[in-house]
Amino acid sequence: MKVTRVFAVARKTLRSLKHDRRTVGFLVFMPLFMIAIFGYTFGGSLEDVSVYVVNLDSGVGNVSASEAIVAELAAGGVLMIEQVIGPEGDPDELVKQALAEVEAGNAWAAIVFEDNFTADVLRSVAEVGSVPTGAPGAITVHLDASNPNIAQAIMNEMQLTVQGVIVSEYHLLPPMTISEERVYGEDAEFIDFFAPGVMGLAAMMVTFMLSIISFVHERSTGTLDRLLTTPVTEGEVVAGYALALGLVGLIQSIVILVTAVALFQVQIEGSPLLVLLIIFVLGAGNQGLGFLLSSNAKNEFQAVQFMPIILFPSILLAGVFWPIEAVPDLLRPVSYFVPLTYAVEGCRSVMIRGWGLGDVWFQLAVLTAFATVMLILSAYSLKKRR
Amino acid sequence: MMRKGGAAGMKTGRDDGEGSVVADKLRKEFDGLVAVDDLDLSIRKGTLYGMIGPNGSGKTTMIKMMVGRLKPTSGRARVLGEDVPLVERVADIGYMPQEMAIYTDLTVSENLQLFGGLYSMDPGSRAKREEALLSMVDLRERRDSLVSQLSGGMKHRVSLACSMIHDPEVLFLDEPTVGVDPELRIGFWQHFSDLKAGGKTVIITTHYMDEAVRCDVVGMMRQGRLIAEGKPKELMERTSTSNLEDAFMEYSRRDAA
Repeated sequence: MKVTRVFAVARKTLRSLKHDRRTVGFLVFMPLFMIAIFGYTFGGSLEDVSVYVVNLDSGVGNVSASEAIVAELAAGGVLMIEQVIGPEGDPDELVKQALAEVEAGNAWAAIVFEDNFTADVLRSVAEVGSVPTGAPGAITVHLDASNPNIAQAIMNEMQLTVQGVIVSEYHLLPPMTISEERVYGEDAEFIDFFAPGVMGLAAMMVTFMLSIISFVHERSTGTLDRLLTTPVTEGEVVAGYALALGLVGLIQSIVILVTAVALFQVQIEGSPLLVLLIIFVLGAGNQGLGFLLSSNAKNEFQAVQFMPIILFPSILLAGVFWPIEAVPDLLRPVSYFVPLTYAVEGCRSVMIRGWGLGDVWFQLAVLTAFATVMLILSAYSLKKRR
Repeated sequence: MMRKGGAAGMKTGRDDGEGSVVADKLRKEFDGLVAVDDLDLSIRKGTLYGMIGPNGSGKTTMIKMMVGRLKPTSGRARVLGEDVPLVERVADIGYMPQEMAIYTDLTVSENLQLFGGLYSMDPGSRAKREEALLSMVDLRERRDSLVSQLSGGMKHRVSLACSMIHDPEVLFLDEPTVGVDPELRIGFWQHFSDLKAGGKTVIITTHYMDEAVRCDVVGMMRQGRLIAEGKPKELMERTSTSNLEDAFMEYSRRDAA
């Protein structure tokens, strides 16, 4: 293998890209766009979820536990209380009225404080430690759970608020507590989890796409054949492309890193260079994969058909958006065959946990093996074709 | 076969042992169809050799086997004393395929730089060579144009220049003059003659039979076989014709008979 010839191929590949301004724009702005869109979409928390409250509780004297909870809910910001209905009127009618709003899609939940809520609460508080003589105060939440995220958020908010009120109003401390000490991810937010995933995904998408399309083009125009009548070897052509496309992936990663830090204050605890190294190896490997598949595509249109086949498993199974632990058992072994899994894991560990080369060597080794096998197979498939 | 008679006018490389380009029972079949049929050929160093024949006669398949891009079904090709595919002498051959096969998304100059780089030329000599070739193909003013913006004939000229950047010993040109205007075509042939005079071997396929008159030796191919070979003048004399096209028709007729 001669380095000058590898460089000649790499330079040619980068120069072709350079002349194609729109593609350059795409390469730079696509990752920027991705991180911005995903960052703003997933980075925010739920706010102003519309709910109706039906308060059938008339309190005890001046005290009302339900009103205290409603006030807390209103102050919380997660829920937007459209209207508090009751307590005057027929209870069934009041509940029906609120439910109608949920059924009409005007609210995500109808929160019903049952009759005698405050009385039941006060009695239960007084009976702490002894045998209860009645039911505790009851709240029923009628949920439109067609959106699980929202349903979850409503229930969480309810539980947190009720617990808070119990502590602040009735000075009842829970008998046990759990406290959180973060080993890693001191100030980690969802975007921190997410940025390394998007970075790997963008690098992978682009290197794979550029590789498969370039090679289909090289094969159909005869340039690949022509190259191979010169002293350049199959291995050198493949290595030259890997170098060029690995660099493209690297540039994209830099764009993503800078954007993520500038727009979303994403933290990079470990070495950015290590992150870039991981991405470079991933890019080189995907270039090989694109090359291998390009021999099975007759034209650019057929090449594009390979993209979803490669992209979907990567997007869904590699832990980009949710952890691998959330992948069903049946599919989880597949996750471990998706190279992106290791890149995402590696980048995440470096960026959030601040791990060094000694800690992510396994992920890097898997990626290097993937790249090596892909490049050797590519070179071999070229040789065999004659 | 006609080969024995046809080759009479040519010393088959006896003086230096073996020709620069040799085909030895070279054969290629595609799914049972014979494209090149046990071709025997020996082309001496310093020869301008023209292979003529209609489309589908096997000229391109022959060249592709000689440059190592197609594996023969049987037989072998030898170039500069080495069996194809070449390893030792691979940098000593140049090849211009019939399809354009240059990078349309690079400029003229960048294409030449790429091929120069693949032959590990040092930048100085490559730049010099680039100048000379750009003059030859009359593209000096378009050196920084993207190839995709050039006309068909210009693209062909870029392709020709790319195959010659490293000043090869043996040059295989598959239809180099397609789409080249007559004035420039004369210049091309002059250049091929100069190469030959410098001791290079040039193998050209063409279906412009008239221009093959400029070759030292002409081979005629029909249905994958060499039906005649010799100096243009001899081929015409032997068939009592006044041009190579008529000579080819006559040889075809005899072959078919």
